[in-house]
Amino acid sequence: MPVAAWPALAAVAIGAGLAAALLLVHHKAAVLAVLAVGAALLVVAQRTRAGERAAASAAAHPRLVPVAVAACGLGLVMLLREDNFALLMLCTVALQTLAALGLHLQFGYAGVANFAGAAFLGVGAYTAAVLGGHLPSVLVLVTGAGLAALAGLLLALPLLRTRGHYAALITIAFGLLLRTFLEVNDTLGGPQGLKVPGFTLGGLAFNDAIVFDEDTEWSFYVPYAVLALALLGATHVLVRRLERSWIGLALDAVRVDETAAAAFGVNGGAWKIAAFCVGNALCGLAGALLAMVTGFVAPPSFAFGDSLVLVSIVILGGIGNPLGLLPAAFLVVVLPEKLQGLQEYRFLLFAVLVILVLRLRPGGLLPRRLRRWPGLP
Amino acid sequence: MLEVSGLTVRFGGLTALDGLQLRAAAGELLGLIGPNGSGKTTFFNALTGFVPVSGGQVRFDGKDITGAAPRRVAACGIARTFQRLRLLSELSVFDNLMLGLHLDLPHGPWVNLFARRRLAAAVRERAAEARELLAVFSPALAGRLAEPLRALPMIDRRRVEICRALVRAPRLLLLDEPSAGMTPDETAALMDDLHAVKARRPGTAVILIEHDMAVIERVSDRCLVLDYGRRLCEGSFAAVSRDPEVRRAYLGEA
Amino acid sequence: MLAQHLFNGLMLGVIYALVATGFTLFFGVMDVIKFSHGDVVMLGAFTALATYAAASGAGITHPALLLAFMLAAALGVMALLGALMARVLVLPLRGAPAINVLLITLMAGTAIRESVRLFYPQGSNPKPFPRLLPEGAFEAGGFTLRYDSLILLGLGLAAIAATGLLLERTRLGLAIRAVAQDPETAAVMGIPFRATVLATFALGSALAALAGVVNGLYYSEVNFGVGLLLGAIGFSSAVVGGLGSVWGAVLGAMVFAALQTAGALVVPGGSAYRDVFAFGAVIALMTWRPAGLLAERSAERV
Repeated sequence: MPVAAWPALAAVAIGAGLAAALLLVHHKAAVLAVLAVGAALLVVAQRTRAGERAAASAAAHPRLVPVAVAACGLGLVMLLREDNFALLMLCTVALQTLAALGLHLQFGYAGVANFAGAAFLGVGAYTAAVLGGHLPSVLVLVTGAGLAALAGLLLALPLLRTRGHYAALITIAFGLLLRTFLEVNDTLGGPQGLKVPGFTLGGLAFNDAIVFDEDTEWSFYVPYAVLALALLGATHVLVRRLERSWIGLALDAVRVDETAAAAFGVNGGAWKIAAFCVGNALCGLAGALLAMVTGFVAPPSFAFGDSLVLVSIVILGGIGNPLGLLPAAFLVVVLPEKLQGLQEYRFLLFAVLVILVLRLRPGGLLPRRLRRWPGLP
Repeated sequence: MLEVSGLTVRFGGLTALDGLQLRAAAGELLGLIGPNGSGKTTFFNALTGFVPVSGGQVRFDGKDITGAAPRRVAACGIARTFQRLRLLSELSVFDNLMLGLHLDLPHGPWVNLFARRRLAAAVRERAAEARELLAVFSPALAGRLAEPLRALPMIDRRRVEICRALVRAPRLLLLDEPSAGMTPDETAALMDDLHAVKARRPGTAVILIEHDMAVIERVSDRCLVLDYGRRLCEGSFAAVSRDPEVRRAYLGEA
Repeated sequence: MLAQHLFNGLMLGVIYALVATGFTLFFGVMDVIKFSHGDVVMLGAFTALATYAAASGAGITHPALLLAFMLAAALGVMALLGALMARVLVLPLRGAPAINVLLITLMAGTAIRESVRLFYPQGSNPKPFPRLLPEGAFEAGGFTLRYDSLILLGLGLAAIAATGLLLERTRLGLAIRAVAQDPETAAVMGIPFRATVLATFALGSALAALAGVVNGLYYSEVNFGVGLLLGAIGFSSAVVGGLGSVWGAVLGAMVFAALQTAGALVVPGGSAYRDVFAFGAVIALMTWRPAGLLAERSAERV
């Protein structure tokens, strides 16, 4: 019996609706109401197994669902087209999720914990600041990703020679080192940071507002949001495919039992380094575009706390489950902005949340399922 | 096919393997027995590159693989199981079997990320082969290919581990105490399984570490007794079990 | 000039050693890294500061008495907190992947840090730490030896020596070493596992509190963020020495302090780059000796 498409489409629509509501409402009570509705829907989905139906339906319609997601993303951007602040948040969410996808590749698949995510974001961002205006913007993004991967490659040998706690220390030390370096290095602007030129593509400068006539003017964040969402969507599809392939299996084997994997010819070190580099490249890419969006980089944005926020997104979303990253990033980025009283308390709140998740639901909010191989029912 | 001469492994001051001599020919099942700590598992670990070799030589098909890394050993066509099961328990049965095939699988980005139809066809083909292999051991197990490994009972996990080692048609199969932790019924079933292995892969040499003498008696073509990292004696099970030195060192203890 | 740098480096090394000893003790008994340790150092300093405010408010002015109160409060409260964290965060995660313990304690550290920033009066600003030790200095040529530094150095060294003695000469030390070797066998011998773990975490956290107070007295200032850097340095020191060995931790701490001091002297750009240099050197050291400098001895822990 063919599986109906509507449960998956409904789930996508509900998700987009919640996101739009959260971005649009301003009043504190309304924000809390949206959250309450979201939580209630989640509980209902779990109790009635609606979530599983939606997942099965999504699996049965591998072409339709991405189209629906893309349409909803575009719809969201159009809905918010005149709201600078909401679009900026949308961009930030998309790019933080992109970076979290990188960490997810490293930690969720290959088992390499990276506590310097923000540092690699910073490599991309500073690349955009230094090279922006000198190179075509697309090349700047690519260079940012490449330099972040290259910076990670410096840690390849230390990471291969160590494991567990020792490897964790290497990334922590690197994160602290880079942040201090940015702070004291005068050519990179020191503590004041640098300005970042905007993104341009074939004569279209993304930093100019889109003016139609005197009454209709779209925010200059519209193209940025579309670009960020498109990058996120494409990367998500690739990461998904990667998981459901021989590569995903090899990475899982390295994570779960590197010794057993080696007995069957798996080169654990090479896979870990490959995952580490690709993950860092995604962080660098996100960082470069984020810097262009905000127009400005400074060391405090790339501190250890920000690396921990990225790790929090990965853990809250469900270790090994990329689908959970977007809602987790949404909560982590948007909530503190919307509940102004919360802004001050956000690191404390995330810390407590992650502690609770690790104690009560160690697999994360949306735990990973078994691999769904292409070609197998 | 496998020629081991003078193989020595030292851990600090302790000599775990002391000049071991051993040969295994294609198609034979060699039982490796000896008291705890006599160096059986150390031999497997040294052969497959998991512990450093201090001296001696290992030749496989005429090639010198002394102290080669696990990856290279695997590439030569040597597969093994582990004394304490080392399965990927959070993954599916199929995933576990496919790890055994790692060296034959394509890992390029194009095949894996973009040529999805070709990948799906390959996966279907591999799954059919895997079902067929599992069915040799247990028809019921073949139907559980997509289940998580931790849902299986002990005997089936052992079978999956043996199948994972068999899936790439190895030339030498190393089985490290497959009956560990099994009930007598399960052990009897395992003996049938080992016969099935031999029937399916007649050219494969098997070295079997085993404490259960009944298993050795039933399935081995030849036995080698280890004591203090040295070869104590070698021959058919009947001959070996009559040897007075073996009785003193090992069987007498039991 | 050189003597001055040597002394300053030694002083830093002692503070780091107090922190690193905690890391190594925890790793010994539970095979875990408790990354909130640096923030316990910071919280210890703030506890002492709060005690100082309360005691001066109550009319106590004698510096020795004040210091005694501060130390008693900081060490006591942090020991309790350490045991509580072991009970709530570390023991329940026994059997979970080791990285989860690292994560949960990282987050606990963030929670402590943020709580101090948010809830201590003007917690986000650096706080002056009272100067309670005798002022004055001994001078010879370009070499200045402050009396208070000398006292702090003695205090730190005494605490480390006492910890070493405690581990080697007392029943508690025996229990800690036994659990570190092999928890199952220790349990068979009648050593209570949980109680020993709780005691170890209390001991390590008390040492952290002492490190916080010594650090505060030495720099005459504390701020809420100091724990992060001190934690990373203590962790690095313990790892460089080889996790699980107290003397390794002390050695690692001295190496780190030496690297920092040398970095400030040798690297162009001066002291600004000293942490960059020191952490870079730690990464290089760990590449060279992945299990730490005292790796051969890592089998016999603590």
